[in-house]
Amino acid sequence: MREIRLQNIKKTFEDELILDCVNLTIKSGEFFALLGPSGSGKTTLLRLIAGFETVDGGSIFLGNQEITYVPIHKRRVNTVFQNYALFPHFNVFDNVAYGLYLKKLSKDLIEQKVIKVLRSVHLEKHIYKSIDQLSGGQQQRVALARAIINEPDVLLLDEPLAALDMGLREKMLVELIELQDELKTTFVYVTHDQFEALTVADRMAIMNADGEIEQVGTPKEIYEFPASSFVASFVGSTNILQGTLIQDCKKIEISGIGMFEVVVPKEKTGLCEDLEILMSIRPEKIEISKTEMTGFTNHLKGKVDSIVYHGRSTQYLVELENGRILHVFEQNEEHFPQEVIDYDDVVHMYWQKENVVLLDK
Amino acid sequence: MNSVKKLGSLALPVFVFFAYFFMYIPIIVLVMFSFNSGNTNFWEGFSLQWYHELFKSVEIIESLKNSLIVAFSAVALSLVMGLFFVFYGSKKFVERGLFFFYGSLAAPEIVLAVGLISFFSFFSVPLGLTTLIAVHTVVGMSYMTPMLYSGYKSIDKNLSEASFDLGATRGQTFIKVILPILYPAIMTSSLLVFIVSLDDFILSFFCAGASTVTLPMYIFSVIRSGATPVVNALSTLLLLATSFIVLIFVSLRARTKLF
Amino acid sequence: MKNTGFKTAALRERHIFASMPALLWQIVFFYVPLFFILVVSVLKRLEYSIFDNLTVQHYKALFDPAYYKIISRSLLLAFSNSILCFAIAYPIAYFLVFRIKHLKSLMIFLLVLPFWANFLVQVYAWFFVLERGGFLNSALLGLGIISEPLHMLNTPFAIYIVMLFCYLPFMIMPIYSSLEGINKSLYEASSDLGASSWQTLFRITLPLSSSGIRTGFFLVFIPSFGEFIVPTLLGGGKQMFVGSLISYFFIETRSIFLGAAFTCVSGFMLLVAIALLTVFLRLVFGRDRA
Repeated sequence: MREIRLQNIKKTFEDELILDCVNLTIKSGEFFALLGPSGSGKTTLLRLIAGFETVDGGSIFLGNQEITYVPIHKRRVNTVFQNYALFPHFNVFDNVAYGLYLKKLSKDLIEQKVIKVLRSVHLEKHIYKSIDQLSGGQQQRVALARAIINEPDVLLLDEPLAALDMGLREKMLVELIELQDELKTTFVYVTHDQFEALTVADRMAIMNADGEIEQVGTPKEIYEFPASSFVASFVGSTNILQGTLIQDCKKIEISGIGMFEVVVPKEKTGLCEDLEILMSIRPEKIEISKTEMTGFTNHLKGKVDSIVYHGRSTQYLVELENGRILHVFEQNEEHFPQEVIDYDDVVHMYWQKENVVLLDK
Repeated sequence: MNSVKKLGSLALPVFVFFAYFFMYIPIIVLVMFSFNSGNTNFWEGFSLQWYHELFKSVEIIESLKNSLIVAFSAVALSLVMGLFFVFYGSKKFVERGLFFFYGSLAAPEIVLAVGLISFFSFFSVPLGLTTLIAVHTVVGMSYMTPMLYSGYKSIDKNLSEASFDLGATRGQTFIKVILPILYPAIMTSSLLVFIVSLDDFILSFFCAGASTVTLPMYIFSVIRSGATPVVNALSTLLLLATSFIVLIFVSLRARTKLF
Repeated sequence: MKNTGFKTAALRERHIFASMPALLWQIVFFYVPLFFILVVSVLKRLEYSIFDNLTVQHYKALFDPAYYKIISRSLLLAFSNSILCFAIAYPIAYFLVFRIKHLKSLMIFLLVLPFWANFLVQVYAWFFVLERGGFLNSALLGLGIISEPLHMLNTPFAIYIVMLFCYLPFMIMPIYSSLEGINKSLYEASSDLGASSWQTLFRITLPLSSSGIRTGFFLVFIPSFGEFIVPTLLGGGKQMFVGSLISYFFIETRSIFLGAAFTCVSGFMLLVAIALLTVFLRLVFGRDRA
């Protein structure tokens, strides 16, 4: 059983309350990501699970066993450190075999296991090298091998790809997904990079700068249905406008801009009238055009303020009548687009009412 | 089970406490008895008489004078030669030359001392303050040069280039840029050499000759022949002076990590 | 190689001689004298010529077992002092690095102070405490623990105890320094992989601090071997050590030739001992790949 349950976790550091009443369940065998900005306490949470820190309140369960006060070396949890923490006085083999040496397994068995694990991370050619002869990416894989060879119930990864460059990072993400698929160990992956989290996670949790979990869900749930404006702006980018719900929850009135059609989920229809609310619409869900279009439930006019070319897409910053700026993304689908939008052009923006998310904070 | 663990974790602090205790007890006793009004080893009352005698003693003043002359000269000589070595030598020259200075720290002092005696007597060089200064400078440089070099190495090369770029000559750059940055290294290594010279016994004992006495030599002879608490008073003052210098040293080091 | 910042080629050429005095001084006043000991040990007379002046008579005179006894006594002192210092220094350094946070600077200052206090003052302090009419005896007598003053001075006990406490800072400082430098996350990694505190100490901490341990050993071993002050002042002159014998040769009897020869022999034995010590340390503490 490799399920992790955190109940009412409280942690203070030098008079600062980092985590207060945090509850989280990580299912057995899932690849779970903890996403949040620096200082959000996500690393602290990870370290509490590993045992490097002790809780000031609350309990931690691994399967059926409570491990809140179990010392580090007795937990069936292993960590991949951000700076790898490879032992400089051991070569690759001895580093990876460290945990097995402690368990006093036979020499042959250890050799067998080490070679097998190094093969699974594609390092079989570097077995007896010393650590300083390896590149960053190779060191990272040694750290990974060293942890998984002990067949832990849970593998904790603390921003493992932070020190690698872009290309290597993407490659490693795929390797990690495949590895987790194969091992079926519960992975808990801490990062501040939303791209990493969205890529690898089966489910993820977003933490804010106050150490609270804002939302837990699958990447798609979190992206398409954020629970708060923090989540909406932290994961991906979005446009958030404040307004009031009117007309029996069918429309939102945004002062200085206009009225737009919305869809309110059935459970909430009762509380509508005159309710102050936030509207979030993602830039990629807005169509932009110089000519008028039909078939969309919502429409807004504006003037192009700046254009940023991103290769795959182009970002437009459009200024509205009241001075507000809206972000719009357009995919660059064609080499020679029919319509070219330029600075200071007056444009029409369209979106469907179903693509809007309503948030109360 | 838990109480055994707690007891175990107490063992280390207790051990360390006793270690510090035994390291300091003799010194504390020494200092205490410098204020003893009697000459025996029983406390007879508080008195400053030994300090009065200390300042009246011609031999002590003389040996202190000698120690200070030698120390300051050794610091000055090793500082100048050390700075020039580090500064004007090419990188290769300095890095290879440094090995020569490390060697001085590796041999027991007494071996060096007898070598010097043989050397001096072979060439009929009279032993005295000059030979002492020469000898202390050798020891001084083996501490000074590595420290100066490491301080110098850590200066960003771009700084001098920036200085030239802004219009300074080499001399101005040395005075306005290099020297101020090197200042902590110079201070700390000078203090170190000063204390080492003041403290030195073996080399002085062998190379000072019959008529010159430094402070440590004086203490040694007095212990041999029978000490009075005047030595306690002298030791206390020496300790005070050293503590003061160490405080300066530590506060300088705190600002720049040089070791 | 173009410009190394401040020192351009032109500057170097003009003043390269300025960098030489330091090295020359070192050679003249350190390496030449050492060479001299070697030379004098094979001379018959103190003259410039080597013609009809070379001899091995001084070395022959040293074949007396009494001399070997003295050398081995010094080796034993050096070795046991190093081991004792290590046994006490390591826990102290460990404590300073891992167990205290708030008083650290104070504790280190207190440690550094005796390191720099005048060696003779420290020896005298112990002398004062240990002598017959001295502090320790008076206290013990006064407290009624003993009825007669203990004879502590002029015994091997006095020598060993004073050597231990005077050399302790030399062992603590390099060990402290190398312990401080170890990446803290390595300990977490070790525990994470299943090691208990003791296992982490022996598998990770000790090997990674081995360079500091080695430095400490040599900072204690080499001077302890040639130690002259402590055996002379506290040993009572009954037992000779290398240091006191050398001083006896050169100062008291002025037998320079015999003294030089003896110094060479002791020096050679020291080198052998250092080589053995290096091997021993490598076996016990491992090679450090920082």
